[in-house]
Amino acid sequence: MKNSFDEKILEEANDWIKTNQKVVLATVIQTWGSSPRQVGSRMIVNEKGDFSGSVSGGCVESAVVRECIGLIKDNKPCKKIEFKVSNESAWEVGLACGGEIAVYLEQIN
Amino acid sequence: MKHSQLKEIIKKKASKIEFAIVTNLKNGLSEIYEPGKSLTKEFEIYKEQIDNFFKLKKNGVIENTEIFIETYIRPIKVIIVGAVHIAQYLVDFAKSLNFEISIIDPRGYFASEQRFPDMKIINKWPDEAFKEIETNENSALIALTHDPKIDDPALQHALNKKFYYVGALGSKKTHENRCQRLKDAGFNNDQINSIHGPIGIKLGGRSAPEIALSIIAQLVSETYKK
Repeated sequence: MKNSFDEKILEEANDWIKTNQKVVLATVIQTWGSSPRQVGSRMIVNEKGDFSGSVSGGCVESAVVRECIGLIKDNKPCKKIEFKVSNESAWEVGLACGGEIAVYLEQIN
Repeated sequence: MKHSQLKEIIKKKASKIEFAIVTNLKNGLSEIYEPGKSLTKEFEIYKEQIDNFFKLKKNGVIENTEIFIETYIRPIKVIIVGAVHIAQYLVDFAKSLNFEISIIDPRGYFASEQRFPDMKIINKWPDEAFKEIETNENSALIALTHDPKIDDPALQHALNKKFYYVGALGSKKTHENRCQRLKDAGFNNDQINSIHGPIGIKLGGRSAPEIALSIIAQLVSETYKK
């Protein structure tokens, strides 16, 4: 059985866009080891760094916000980022769970 | 992703259609796929793998590719019998869960829109009400009236249709009497023992929101056992 939750992040993204915010959608696409969120988990980030939802248990969200702001600034459509235990930025933000995740970022336009 | 596609996804979710979002992680192209329908050239070679993800009800990247698939399955139908105080909290707790709730209560004062805004409420007796809801082994029943006149026909329907979750509110004594009535009606022990009664996991609380929480916890737990 698939997850029984529906966090309504896409609906929230639509509300943000309606108020003229630039929105990047971040989705967990792969996980290894004991990562806290399942594949398909989402967060959204706007150009100011406001965010909603999650892609981990709070471990890598700050880094994802920075990456999303960068994507908007550079006006790039999408980007894939990986957080591994050996990854410096993951250590910096503290991927304490010891898991590894890949997150896909895409601008909604 | 285009904003128009996001709006389309939200629309499909709201109308409870099964679909998948297929994304090429390299170039950012994505499209919506409905089982049985065709895909554009970009993705049609992956049709078999996408259908497989659907069968397994899972999300993920197709092995050795840069293609990500996110499947959306129909929410589980949860039928609450009894538009009582606990039901109001159940509706609240279930907001972030993938459940589609219908409430049945023949009593007009209970089944009011004012008490349950934006909810599907069927103000009929269960036998009549179930004619309006398509149910199967992927459905769940929460019987809350502890009135045999209302709960029993709903419980019988749920057992006959092999609902994966059947719970009934009431004390141990109430439940014993209920089991006896179902036995008299011809249901076997396995069927009767499959009913969660008294309903909910043991939290200790007795207030309406606490009972609702214990019921939702049990429902989610049983959903993952499916």
